[in-house]
Amino acid sequence: MNQYNAYVLVVEDDKQIRNFICYSLDAEGFKHIAASSGQGALSVLIAEPVDLMLLDLGLPDFDGMELIRKVRQWSEMPIIVVSARDQDKEKAAALDLGADDYLTKPFSATELLARIRVALRHSARQNSGYRMQNVLQVGELQIDLDKRLIYVEGEETHVTPMEYNLLALFFKNIGKVLTTKQILKEIWGVGHGSDTQALRALMAGLRRKIEKNPAKPRYILTEIGVGYRLVDE
Amino acid sequence: MNLKSIAYRLAITLALLIAAFVIGYLFRTLGLPETNIVIVYLLTVLLTARFSHGYVFGFLASLFSAFAFNFFFTEPYFSLAINTPSYIITFIIMTIAALITSALTTHANRNAIKAREKEAETKALYTLTNRLTEAADISDIAGIATGAISEMMNCKAECLCFDRQGKPEPAEDLRAGYNIGAEFHDWPVHGREATLGIIRIPKDAVKTMNESQTRMLRAVIESIALAMDRFRSAEQQQKFNEDIAQERYRGNLLRAISHDLRTPLAGMMGTAEMLLNMTDKDDQRYPLMEGMHKDANWLHSLVENILSLTRLQDGKLALYKQEEAAEEVVGAAIRYISRRWPEYEISVNVPEELLLVPMDAKLIGQVLINLLDNAVKHTAPQDEINVSVAKDTDNNCAVFSVRDRGEGIADCDLPNIFQVFYTSRAKHADAQLGIGLGLAICEAAVKAHGGSIRAINPADGPGAEITFTIPLEVTNHESI
Repeated sequence: MNQYNAYVLVVEDDKQIRNFICYSLDAEGFKHIAASSGQGALSVLIAEPVDLMLLDLGLPDFDGMELIRKVRQWSEMPIIVVSARDQDKEKAAALDLGADDYLTKPFSATELLARIRVALRHSARQNSGYRMQNVLQVGELQIDLDKRLIYVEGEETHVTPMEYNLLALFFKNIGKVLTTKQILKEIWGVGHGSDTQALRALMAGLRRKIEKNPAKPRYILTEIGVGYRLVDE
Repeated sequence: MNLKSIAYRLAITLALLIAAFVIGYLFRTLGLPETNIVIVYLLTVLLTARFSHGYVFGFLASLFSAFAFNFFFTEPYFSLAINTPSYIITFIIMTIAALITSALTTHANRNAIKAREKEAETKALYTLTNRLTEAADISDIAGIATGAISEMMNCKAECLCFDRQGKPEPAEDLRAGYNIGAEFHDWPVHGREATLGIIRIPKDAVKTMNESQTRMLRAVIESIALAMDRFRSAEQQQKFNEDIAQERYRGNLLRAISHDLRTPLAGMMGTAEMLLNMTDKDDQRYPLMEGMHKDANWLHSLVENILSLTRLQDGKLALYKQEEAAEEVVGAAIRYISRRWPEYEISVNVPEELLLVPMDAKLIGQVLINLLDNAVKHTAPQDEINVSVAKDTDNNCAVFSVRDRGEGIADCDLPNIFQVFYTSRAKHADAQLGIGLGLAICEAAVKAHGGSIRAINPADGPGAEITFTIPLEVTNHESI
């Protein structure tokens, strides 16, 4: 699927912000349809072949979480949530429910479009044979999923099995924000739900092996209060 | 003791002795044994001691009784001579018994009087305290106090109250009969913090004061001081509560307004950006739109800052504390700043060993962003900006430091930069840079974590350095 043919649903109740988003999408050549309420969004989702949803969490009539939960029952379409700065908890909860990414108001058109592109790319990969690929690369960082090896600037770098699992998880979800909760569940299993300290330590160890300066990471970025993301270049 | 009371006591003593003689004479006429008469005299001594208040009359009565018995009731009658030597023993025993009886009775008497006095004092003080509790204001207290003292001392007492600044307040009691020439004795009323007033008593009354009255006066003054103190602290508490309520109201108002401004501002920013994208950079309208966009952006930051600060100051912002990696929080802040100011290169030093710090990562991230934002605004792109994190093992805290090689902080600003809405006095008028809240938020956030923040101009070169600490151990006090 060509990302420029993607059909984007914009769910936003503030008229100015909706206009701004729609204009930005227009300028970039995305087809789009707008809804100003949760109910309206549902009607559109049922009737139209939407490829990506941009969802404001502060809707007047509908809980954004409920909408995400409903959509996830039948569709894997990328969902990008838009939230105010003081809605961190909602943000993390939305990602846990299956939203792909988030934007904090106010955002710029550049930021918005970049996120949409990443999300569409990720979704396209899921549908194509990306998962079949054995060697994946971001910048100078390479992972060989068959041999379970990691290369930094072409050099094979030794990592522990846990660190490898963590990095592999990020490569499988390249560009996507993974919440702390999701990572814990994937790496340690359901039983270790809240041991974030172990994750911080594991992440610190991995970064010291793949990043030049762990406090200025190039590959795995920290999304404060939410989780981590492997950059998609 | 005045003459009148001496005469009175003498009369009682005489009357009792005469009565004893009459009874004794009656006994002798009836032919009763002399022992009965001795008993009668002992009784007389006891009664004398009881009613004449004092050792002197009891003592006199004892001696006189012994002689009277000898004189009137032993043979030969009406003579101090004695026929039977055994009477000498009777006399001696009688005298000793009389003396002891007199002494004991007098002593018991005095104790009873003292107890009565004490009781009266206690009762008076209790009544006074009760009345003071019901007093409506300071002058009411003064009125009750002077009333009680005047009654007790039987004079005209006055009370001069001092206000909070220690200046005399006009009190009603000084209105009449105030004679400049009169001589007074002043008793200060000491409160916990200051002298609350003066009790003024005429010198004449003070001169005739006995020990118990002095004691009573002290106790009364102490009660007054307590009452005034209590009244003042109640007043202060009320004022404090009112101030807090007003502060809260102001904060709520500010927050409500800011909250409503946020959405339209985000819309304006987006629209301005949209217009910018539609316009050619050479177009005359481009800088106008750019200005609009910048201003909307600035307003939006201000609104967000107000929201953060009012929430922080109100204690309404619940800290979501977790063990966070210091390097991640620093890294995220640097990434945010680098995105906004790509031309700046920010260097960073973190410890090789992972440093986990209990903190609200979002909030401390905001602190770092504010500090970096500030550094960027006062530093040229080619100059160094550095963020460092270190562990201070001695004080068991993490030390974050943002240093730049920019223009530094003016000495006159150093003590004030963390104040709300403080913008540099050393600045030029056209430099609309400081929002005046960024650093205040930093301070509030760091304090909410139980840490401290300070700013210095390093001695080893130009620029400024702002350092803050976050305790590594969560104390009980903080977790509340």
